Order: sequence, then structure tokens, then C-alpha cells
Amino acid sequence: MNRAVSAVIKKDFFSITSNRRLFSTILIVPLVLTIVLPSVFVIAVHFVPDDPDVLKLLELLPQEVGTVSVELAVIGLIFNYILPVFFLMIPIMTASVMAASSFVGEKEKRTLETLLYCPLSVKQIFQAKVLASFLFSMLVSLISFAAMLTVLELEVFFLTANLVVPGINWLIILALLSPAIALIAVTLIVKGSAKAQSMEESQQGAVFLIIPVLLLIVGQFTGALLLNVWILLVLSAVCAFLAWILLQRAMGRFTYEMLLK
Amino acid sequence: MQAVVLQDLSKTFPGGKEAVKGISLSLRQGEVFGFLGPNGAGKTTTVKMLNGMLTPSAGKCSVLGFDPSREPEKVHAVSGVLTEHAQMYDNMTGIQNLIFYAEIFGISKEEGRKRGLTLLEKLKLEEAGDQKLAAYSTGMRQRLSLARALIHRPEVLFLDEPTSGLDPESAQNVNQLIRELAQEKGTTVFLCTHQLRYAQEICTRFGLLEEGRLLAAGTLAELREKMNAGAELRVRACGISGNGKFTDSRIQRQWKRADGESAGDVFCTKIQSEAEIPRIVRTIVEAGGDIYGVEVKQPTLEDIYFALTAKGKEEEQ
Repeated sequence: MNRAVSAVIKKDFFSITSNRRLFSTILIVPLVLTIVLPSVFVIAVHFVPDDPDVLKLLELLPQEVGTVSVELAVIGLIFNYILPVFFLMIPIMTASVMAASSFVGEKEKRTLETLLYCPLSVKQIFQAKVLASFLFSMLVSLISFAAMLTVLELEVFFLTANLVVPGINWLIILALLSPAIALIAVTLIVKGSAKAQSMEESQQGAVFLIIPVLLLIVGQFTGALLLNVWILLVLSAVCAFLAWILLQRAMGRFTYEMLLK
Repeated sequence: MQAVVLQDLSKTFPGGKEAVKGISLSLRQGEVFGFLGPNGAGKTTTVKMLNGMLTPSAGKCSVLGFDPSREPEKVHAVSGVLTEHAQMYDNMTGIQNLIFYAEIFGISKEEGRKRGLTLLEKLKLEEAGDQKLAAYSTGMRQRLSLARALIHRPEVLFLDEPTSGLDPESAQNVNQLIRELAQEKGTTVFLCTHQLRYAQEICTRFGLLEEGRLLAAGTLAELREKMNAGAELRVRACGISGNGKFTDSRIQRQWKRADGESAGDVFCTKIQSEAEIPRIVRTIVEAGGDIYGVEVKQPTLEDIYFALTAKGKEEEQ
């Protein structure tokens, strides 16, 4: 990678981690979704394990209940079917906050103009910023997953003396779907950044990205849609395609004049 | 070789405001060119066009042979820009900022640190180098921005109001540095300011601007000649009649009486060249006048600018 582009990426990482307010905004969502929420689920399941309704529900689901305890089966279901959908909010939130800070934040603090006077094309600056936001969101997602897995396994082990096995859903989410939706989030924020005058204004746009994820969550809870490998693969392909189209369209759009408005 | 060339350069903004109207001029390598005019005269717009930030509506420009609207990155690689609006990162220290910009210009971290420390020392910022920018005063930020503009040793330097917010001592340091760069390193400096006295002190050639139009360009001597301004001779003497005219018929001059001083009165008159002075002095003495002091006051850049704008207004009327 070009030295200048990597310097911009490193600087963006440093900027976000050294800004306490922004960094805590970024950390709070993963903390709730990967530590608090799974713990609440595990503890709730542990204390109300023998509900006949739960047993009926388990019979309907494609899970082999016979081999393990009901408690472990329910935790496994939550881990592999409910939590992945919640998890998708992490790349969206992280990428949005990072992109807003690195593009609109720089514009707001008038540091973008200085960057534009450097020997980087607008396209290179755009690429560096998108890459920084994307990599950061992937890093936060992976760390969040590792933290969630550790906490969850520890809790399950202490409560049931067993471990839950992450399903293939997680692999698809981490390797395909999360990167694709993170890229969509980054591109949309950056696309709107030419018009947005403040970071807050730009971040508001990210709220709309949460809506499809909320629909997935509702779908999972009501049983209208059950995530399986194929649905996830199709969803990943659609998102990746959308991200690519958006990226291509946004890439050629910027000029110095537009960015300095 | 001409370092910076502007050919009939114009910029009209989408709202219809004509910020720059057909400016043509060129800068030789190593000269300190003062681009002067009041706020809103089109100085910053011109600098932005010369750096490819704005596309000219008409005409063209080049920096060391590169067209900024076609190859802005190449222009940026050989030029340094200091403007009021181009800020640096508050969450980083002075030296961290300089190293970051050095890296963007393709300079290694070690070399960037070395150059950064040298510049901080030259600009008397060595103690503030490890402080975060959030703690910097306006003047310190301005000096650090100059260090940032110089970190890649540019061949052309665009400075927009470089001494704004600086105390007199810092301004002197900055001026010293600019002079050194032009004289020793051959850096071409395009300096925009509305402070004409400051520009006269540091620039070797000037372009005077009003409402986007270039009124005149040249060295101070050329501008004086162009304006046919002449100098003012001030004579402090006794024995010169106070009713507005020198009594001796050999020098029938229009004398203007200035404020009285301790010994004698001060009389002023216009002369076209210094060669006239000995004859005038001799005549006064021979006519019995006592001379306490003789002073020649050349028209300043400010005088020339106001004369030019007044002339422009007369022509319009």
C-alpha cells in the first residue's frame, strides 16, 4: 500500500481511539450486544429451563435436542440464530461512527482542506478513508465476537459444565455479511458527507441502515423468517453487490470543490 | 523558468459572483511575490485555483509547468500551502502532526521527525513540539502550519496571510525564514496579504488587486514609475516664506507647510528625482534660509495602492 494512504489510515485509527467520547460511543454497542445481552439470555434460560412452551418451540426448530439438555439446546439456538442478527448492528454502528468522524469530522474541523493540499488525489483520500472505516469496523466486529464467545462459553461452562458450538451461520456473518454491510454503511455516510456539515447530521443517516436489521430481528423472534445458511449467503451476496455498486458510484463523484463547500 | 503563470485567469462562482477577473501575471523562480488587496479581493480564490481546489471559469494557470486543474497532485507535491482554513489535528502533538504530513509526502518517519524538529526550532516552537495542538495559541498554530507547509521542502510556497495572529517577534521569525527560503533555497513565494506595509518589507515584487481585477504589477520602483508618483521632499528650515510659495524666484515651487517643529518650519514639495535635491538645498541656503533637516519620503505601497484605486474610481465615473 502507498505510504501516504497507510499514513492516513493509521492517523484515522489514532484519531478515533484517542477521542474518548467517540470511542466510548463505538464501544457501548458491542459491549451491550456481545456481553450484556448474551449474558441476560444465558441467565434467563438457566433459571427458566422447563417451560413447556419452550419445549414445544424446540420441537419446531431444526435442532437436535435429543443429544443435549434442553437448557443447552435453547442457549445454542439463541447463540446461533438470535445473536447473529443483533451482531450485525456492530459493523453498521462502528463503520458509521468512524466514517462520519473521518470524513465529516475532518471537514468540520477544517483538517480536510489541509489533507487536500497533499499529493493525494481525491480518489486516494476517499479510498484511504473508506478503507480505514472498513478495517476499523471489521476489527471491532472480530474483537466483539471473540469477547462474546469467551464470555458466553465461560458462563455456559459454569452453569451447565458444557460448551456451545458456534454454527456455520457465524462464519458467514463474520466473513461475508458483516464486511458487506459495513462497506454499505461507510459508503452511504461518505456519500452524504459532501452535504453534511456536522458529524451528528451525518451519523443520523446510519439510523436507516439499522431498519433492515431490526426487521431481521423481528423475523427471527416471530418465526416469520428463520436464518439459515442459504438465506445468509444470499443476503451476503446481495449486500456485497450493493456495496460494490455504491462504492463505484461514490468514488468518481467527488471533486475538491465539492468537498470544500 | 517561470515558476507560476496565470493567463487571463477568471473565476465566477455558481451564484454569479465574479471573484477573479482575467488576471495575467508570472512569477520567476526564487522571487517573493506579494499578491495584495483588501479582504474579498480574490486572493484566496486565486490561490485555490493555483492549487487545483477550484476550477477556473476561464483562462489557465500553471505551477512549475503543471496545470493544477489537470494534475493537482503534482502541483501539491512541489508546493506548500498555508491558508487560514487549512487546520491540523488537535488530538495530535505538534511533532506528530508534522511527521504525519511528512509521511503523506512520501518522507520516512525518521526523516520527517528530523525535519520537523529543525522547523520547530527555526519557528521557536521547540518547547511546544510535544504538546497537543488543542493547547496551542492562534500564533503557535499559524507557525506550525508554516512548518507543515515546509516539511517537504517545496519549490513554490503559497502563503495566505502568513503573519495573521502572530506577535511582532514571531512575525519577524517568519519573515526571516521566508527571506532565507527565497534567497538561499530559491523557493518561489506567492504571498497574499492585505497588510501592505508588511508586504513592502518582505516582497520583491507586487501585484495589486481590487475586486478580482489586477490593478498593477511590478517591483516597488516600477510601480512608482508607473504611477509617476514622484517623491516628497521635506525641508525643515527658517527663512522660507510661510504663505505657500518659496520667496526666491529661482525656485518657484509649490511648498506645503507641514506641522511646526522645534526649530524652523517643515515645508514639503513634490520632486521627480533625487537629483533635484542639491539644487533646491543650495538655492534655499543662498537665499539666506537656514536648513535644519532634509528628508525624502518615497511613496509607499499603500500610497500607490490608494492612488491606483482612486484612479480606477475616477475612470469608472
